[in-house]
Amino acid sequence: MPNLLASRSALVATAIAVVVAALMAASGQKQALVIGVITGAGYGLVALGLVLIYKSSGVFNFAQGEFGTVAVYTLFRLHDKIGVPLLLAMLIGLAASMALALATERAVIRPLFDAPRVTLLVATAGVALLAISLELWLGEARLRFIQPALGRLDRISLFGVQVSDQRLLVLAALLMLAVLLGLFFSRTNLGLAILGVSQEPVATELMGISVRRLSSFTWALTGLLAGIAGMLTAPVVGSFGPGFLTFNALIPGFTAAVLGGMTSLPGAFVGGVIVGVAQSFAVSGFQDVPFLKEIPGPGAVMVFVILVVVLAIRPQGLLGKAS
Amino acid sequence: MSLEESVDAPPVVETEAPVAEPIVVEAAPSFRPGPAGWVARGLVMAAAAALVLLFPATRGNVDVHIYTQAVIFAIIGLSLNVLLGYTGQISLGHQAFVGVGAFTSAYMVTVHGQPFVAAVGMAMVVGAVQALLLGIVSLRITGLYFALVTLAYGTMAEESLFNIQKLTGGSAGQPAPKPAGFTTDLRYYYLCLAFLAVVVWVDWRLMKTKGGRALSAVRENPRVAATFGTDVKVYTLMAFVVAGVFAGLGGALLAHNDTFVVRDLFNFQLALVFVIMTVVGGLRNRTGVVIGSAFFALIGKLFDVLFENGLHIPGLKALPKEYAPIVIGPMLLLFTLTRHPGGVGQQVRPLQRWLRGGRFSFKNTHESEVRVSDVRA
Repeated sequence: MPNLLASRSALVATAIAVVVAALMAASGQKQALVIGVITGAGYGLVALGLVLIYKSSGVFNFAQGEFGTVAVYTLFRLHDKIGVPLLLAMLIGLAASMALALATERAVIRPLFDAPRVTLLVATAGVALLAISLELWLGEARLRFIQPALGRLDRISLFGVQVSDQRLLVLAALLMLAVLLGLFFSRTNLGLAILGVSQEPVATELMGISVRRLSSFTWALTGLLAGIAGMLTAPVVGSFGPGFLTFNALIPGFTAAVLGGMTSLPGAFVGGVIVGVAQSFAVSGFQDVPFLKEIPGPGAVMVFVILVVVLAIRPQGLLGKAS
Repeated sequence: MSLEESVDAPPVVETEAPVAEPIVVEAAPSFRPGPAGWVARGLVMAAAAALVLLFPATRGNVDVHIYTQAVIFAIIGLSLNVLLGYTGQISLGHQAFVGVGAFTSAYMVTVHGQPFVAAVGMAMVVGAVQALLLGIVSLRITGLYFALVTLAYGTMAEESLFNIQKLTGGSAGQPAPKPAGFTTDLRYYYLCLAFLAVVVWVDWRLMKTKGGRALSAVRENPRVAATFGTDVKVYTLMAFVVAGVFAGLGGALLAHNDTFVVRDLFNFQLALVFVIMTVVGGLRNRTGVVIGSAFFALIGKLFDVLFENGLHIPGLKALPKEYAPIVIGPMLLLFTLTRHPGGVGQQVRPLQRWLRGGRFSFKNTHESEVRVSDVRA
């Protein structure tokens, strides 16, 4: 039954995404659409991690973005400064973000297991600021521009829609990852166990599954997701600095998660795409509209408006069931 | 222990009524300090008063400016304390609340030529309205959605609101002259101190009202409170409004202290510093919050005195003073949360008790954090 529900909600989500895409394509915003989908898929990845943590620990994890930034910093340090081969540097970078996630779980989340949820929230925000401040202190405050970290950054402009092959690569990687995650959660024992813990912790424990170990695993997995999101987003944005994923993707990621009702994994990913498209539409599309073009920072305004509207009108999320 | 008692115990320094322990161990009633004891207590209090009131008068303008900032940070900390301490909700966009207050006041004074009092009043009203609106949206569902909404609001304010040229002067900023009669840094310091005193008093009195007691009941267990007929939402919204008013006031005072408001000041790091100073100070403990906030406002200065040219740790880059609050802050925060949930307030409690005429002892200083396991974020 839950499977059916999940697939139905995925269908609804896809339908909404298609409608949005059709509307935008019709209004001549193809460029915005493509860019939106790509950045949105990155948001979706962050949102997936947020939902996973929320389901397993009941926490809004504000350090999610920083897990990703750390991966990017490690990659940059090793590859561009020391000259470690790219693939190896990427693996070490991902390991670093997973290590940070695990350390957070062990040193912060577990000691506060019984504390009020708001305390945990403050604690994850503290982890985020600690990471940002260490990056500021040890890694300089300036933005770094990315040398081709993944493929080439040629910015080939095709007629019609301008897509660099960098972006195509990112999109392909994201789609592949989405499929892999889908398989992981539906086919493997570990994936099913994680879903089980998030729905019925007691029953899962009774089935002989260690909730504790799974919690560690979930955190490591979100660290990995954040790391990948960071490595894929950084070349699209073109530069990164201290706290870059927190500032670029955390709020859209949360908005995407809320769109998915904070519980649905496919909902979160599709929500990410919706937020990405809406944001990129606001940035490029508002320029032609007389009153709207006066608004500074339209992207941030759009994300805030989506969040507020969803919470005000449909707080259970686009795909969630009414609680 | 009946629920009645726990509801009636307001979360203030005066009453030592941890919910889990039915026996209220105040200073032993039989103990009365002798004359020498009273003199000692009087001396300590006089020294504290002198430190706050007289010491700044002996310092230069640059220093006084920073002390004023510490006083204003204390107001902002108390504002967050209302949210975090009394309602158990958290604002991660407090820099926007404060910033909106600052820009409102500057706008009223500079563009409309309004007097200081009207401008500050306006900043407080705007602060109340924005907190109320954001609160209404985020209280649609149970959970900590206020954190998300305020976080998005803060970023929105940073990238959009504070860039509206007509209201904020854009990147150039908006001038905010000090009010007539308080044009020197020292006089303005005393003015801010007076405002802080009012805020502390209002906060104290509010927590003694029906609304305040309802809030502590709601925080301890929303379901039980609701069962007893407490309108959880209304009281939480009331607290949001109070927090918004305090934040608006803090922002306005900050603006006129700097005599110039620039948008770059109100960034996400500042919001987190606000949260950290409140938690490290000690939730629901006014003294602690004031000390914690002042500490984080003064940390740059302190750093300058202790380590010229930044803190040198062998093998690492020197830690410059600009980064001191955001490097040291989170470490203190995590330490406080996992080891000493009572924060600074808990550490100074023996001293407070002694000053009030009790014995000096470290007994029962433990802050009883209410454990609520059924309220998911």
